[in-house]
Amino acid sequence: MSDIIISAKDIEVQFRVRDNYLTAIRNVSLDLYEGETFAIVGESGSGKSVFTKTFTGMLESNGKITNGSIMYHGQDLTKLKTEKEWASIRGVKIATIFQDPMTSLNPIRTIGSQITEVIEKHQKLSKAEAKDQAISIMERVGIPNAAERFDNYPFQYSGGMRQRIVIAIALSCHPEILICDEPTTALDVTIQAQIIKLIKDLQKELGFTTIYITHDLGVVANVADRVGVMYGGQIIEYGTVNEIFYDPQHPYTWALLSALPQLGVKGEDLYYITGTPPSLYNKINGDAFAPRNPRALKIDFAQEPPFFKVSDTHYAKTWLLDPRAPKVEKPDAIKDLHEKILRMTSKGGAFHVGND
Amino acid sequence: MATQEDNLFEFAEFDEKESEHIAAPRYSYWKSVWRTFIRSRVTVPLAIFVIVLVAFALIQPLYSGYSPMVAPNINTPEMKYLPPSAQHIFGTDNIGNEVWDVVWAGARNSIIVSFISTTIIMVIGILVGALWGFSKKMDKWMIEVYNVLSNVPSLLLAMILSYVLGAGLGSLIFVMVCIDWIFVAYFIRTQVMIIRDREYNLASKCLGTGTFTMIKKNILPYLVSVIVTYISREIPVLISYEVFLSYLGLGLGSNYASLGRTISQYRSFMTGYPHLFWIPVLVLAAIAISLYVVGQKLADATDPRTHR
Amino acid sequence: MSEMTNREVLVSLRNVEISFDNGGKHKFKAVQDASFDIYKGETFALVGESGSGKTTIGRAIMRINELSAGEILFEGKRISGKISKQEDTDVIRSIQMIFQDPAASLNERATIEYIISEGLYNFHLYKNEQDRLEKVDRALEEVGLLPEHKSRYPHEFSGGQRQRVGIARALIMEPKLVVADEPISALDVSIRAQVLNLMNKLKNEKALTYLFIAHDLSVVRFIADRIAVIHLGRIVEIAETEELFAYPMHPYTISLLSAVPMPDPIIEKQREAIVYADATEEKTGPDYAMREIRPGHYVYCTPEQARTYAESVNQ
Repeated sequence: MSDIIISAKDIEVQFRVRDNYLTAIRNVSLDLYEGETFAIVGESGSGKSVFTKTFTGMLESNGKITNGSIMYHGQDLTKLKTEKEWASIRGVKIATIFQDPMTSLNPIRTIGSQITEVIEKHQKLSKAEAKDQAISIMERVGIPNAAERFDNYPFQYSGGMRQRIVIAIALSCHPEILICDEPTTALDVTIQAQIIKLIKDLQKELGFTTIYITHDLGVVANVADRVGVMYGGQIIEYGTVNEIFYDPQHPYTWALLSALPQLGVKGEDLYYITGTPPSLYNKINGDAFAPRNPRALKIDFAQEPPFFKVSDTHYAKTWLLDPRAPKVEKPDAIKDLHEKILRMTSKGGAFHVGND
Repeated sequence: MATQEDNLFEFAEFDEKESEHIAAPRYSYWKSVWRTFIRSRVTVPLAIFVIVLVAFALIQPLYSGYSPMVAPNINTPEMKYLPPSAQHIFGTDNIGNEVWDVVWAGARNSIIVSFISTTIIMVIGILVGALWGFSKKMDKWMIEVYNVLSNVPSLLLAMILSYVLGAGLGSLIFVMVCIDWIFVAYFIRTQVMIIRDREYNLASKCLGTGTFTMIKKNILPYLVSVIVTYISREIPVLISYEVFLSYLGLGLGSNYASLGRTISQYRSFMTGYPHLFWIPVLVLAAIAISLYVVGQKLADATDPRTHR
Repeated sequence: MSEMTNREVLVSLRNVEISFDNGGKHKFKAVQDASFDIYKGETFALVGESGSGKTTIGRAIMRINELSAGEILFEGKRISGKISKQEDTDVIRSIQMIFQDPAASLNERATIEYIISEGLYNFHLYKNEQDRLEKVDRALEEVGLLPEHKSRYPHEFSGGQRQRVGIARALIMEPKLVVADEPISALDVSIRAQVLNLMNKLKNEKALTYLFIAHDLSVVRFIADRIAVIHLGRIVEIAETEELFAYPMHPYTISLLSAVPMPDPIIEKQREAIVYADATEEKTGPDYAMREIRPGHYVYCTPEQARTYAESVNQ
């Protein structure tokens, strides 16, 4: 495996909401390896976005890292305070793409000027050279007639095109780490497929490390090398993408996978999760998922499980892996997952396309 | 010890319905408004101050025996131009009246006119504005009415109306309502239009809910906060407007006590006996500003975003 | 398939066109020449991406959007355009809607009791107060909520619970048709399955008919009996669910199908999304029409294309 490029350790993040404290991230550690794509999956409120915002110092003003460290090239990012200290990292070494491209684009400036501005800021180039480079980047991210569309405004672009521009701007400084925060959630499925492909191709070409945040396990299967599943402000299971899909260990991972409508059988109920995610205003005792887990153990309510090792690359935070725990099998829906999906996508299967 | 720990690895009981319960205490809109309102340290004393001030202004003149038509001390020179003292709290004026009594009698009429006008204006404005905002047909011609009415100078309208109707409490209220209702209606219309096409209103429409029920249940509850904000501005503005009109001689007649006319009369003593001018002005300011601040605090509290 | 033709038609769209004026000259046709029948008791899915006109059609059936051409029939009677007050009342009672965003579609200043009773109040569908409260309790129970929720406000609920309130308020009217406009796409992934199951359960219990509007074929495969695919305001393919997934024909349907992400890393990493070349421009012309390629399977195409499609199935 390649070198660790960034290492977050025991990160805790709290938000002050009126007079209450909300603990959004509860002791999360994560090592990212150079050149990999690490996907973080979780539902809203699981903390997946908040966690990665600590990498670029972009927490909302009422939020604070209350514990832990993020080591990046020998520097602890949690110690950075001012905009000036962040300037050489945020957007330069670590860039972010958000769900809504308009949060990153200025609606009243042309697309071209917004790209050249970033190029000029970081490279010493003449105006004409910067423009040439901007157009070639636009072409690279798949904007047709890039030269003509250079002087267009964001509203003249479709949602998918805008996201391509945001990607172009993010990559124009050749960052080492690209954080993709649900970059395709607001887009149509066919556009989503194209954007994902674009990010993957660019990564192969430029070799950056990607953190991909999403709630969609289908997308995870496509993009990720490794996966972390987040729930209630913690990573509760992580491993290689194959381990997470074919050999998941945590009941929440099981539930997330089983509830996918792609796996549904018509006329039968889909596997479903009851209840709602825990409130992070309260102190969580034991396993955060226990109240929604029909096969929870008594200890799940009393004591927080440690990470149990499944393999060198695969760890899960569930008492089910304790030798004393009873044997619980994963739900039927995700048994033999690969065979099932192979059938679905082969000739005669529901999701088979093409002539082979 | 071992057995106890082993027990921990048994399955816990699971009740699907359990997760549907809502643990938070019951929410009540008005209770939350009240709690938010009294949470601020400034508001409570100020609110008490306003209530005492207004109550005093309403009650004091009933017992003071003051009337603008009688001047019992007009022939007693030693009772004129007395400075404020223990016996004469605000001193006396050029015709030997107690300024204390004059000011409160004037304040009483200002407050009465303002409160009643505001009530009528808001009722008419909200009713018309809500329907106006809802009906696209009505909007077409109401916008013309608004263009005409809002461009007539209000002072001119006040002048004409007060000459036609005479100068009394009732006619002053009528004047104020005539001038102001259209602005409230327009304001409400705009607010209604903002929330009219929200999805929950579409949902009500799909359930067959009629316009009046929609206004009552879907629209007005959302406007409580902006309406309270408007009222909290309207009351002090109308108090001042009464003073302004009476100052110009367009408001209450000479048989009514009026802060405006009092200030107008005392203006000439500004250099010789400045207290005569400044006392009514300061009383006016105290009433208007404290009413405004308390009103704004109340308006903040009615915004559910401030609720915890 | 012949049994299909014998089934009772509940809703029928005939050459429906819906256009929006954006300020005088420029007329934007959101829906063009849409025709389809929804049979009693089925779940009919309308699948398309943003701007395809799927929601516009749903809202036209709800009588929120007006047609600029064509007509909509419900139980054989025209419900588009001007209709009598009595008919309007009947339509409102018979056709109900479930909205996409449960946070936006519930009145935040009303209690759950009022929200669920709203339709009952409007048509006085209860004998007395006690009867109304019993009906509300029953509706809550049917969607898995508790009687104690009556006095709560929408913001106190989770997204999934709110959506179930939205379902309860629609179903208390005892509708025949429910238009569900992307009912799960605003919900968290862990909640979606529960709402889908609930909708299926209620459909069976109450013999409902659904028009299920979605942007994603994976959900539709699980819930729909028949599917219409819509692209740029034009319906391009209609077929029974199994048929459509077995023999997708229109290139747009194929691109939609290929874009569904599969939760399997080995397979998903090999799958290539098929890009629909005419994604932004409508493919149409005088030769184009809805043609029946196989029984009950219609595609918007030219006669030559129809022949190619038919041959590809026989291979």
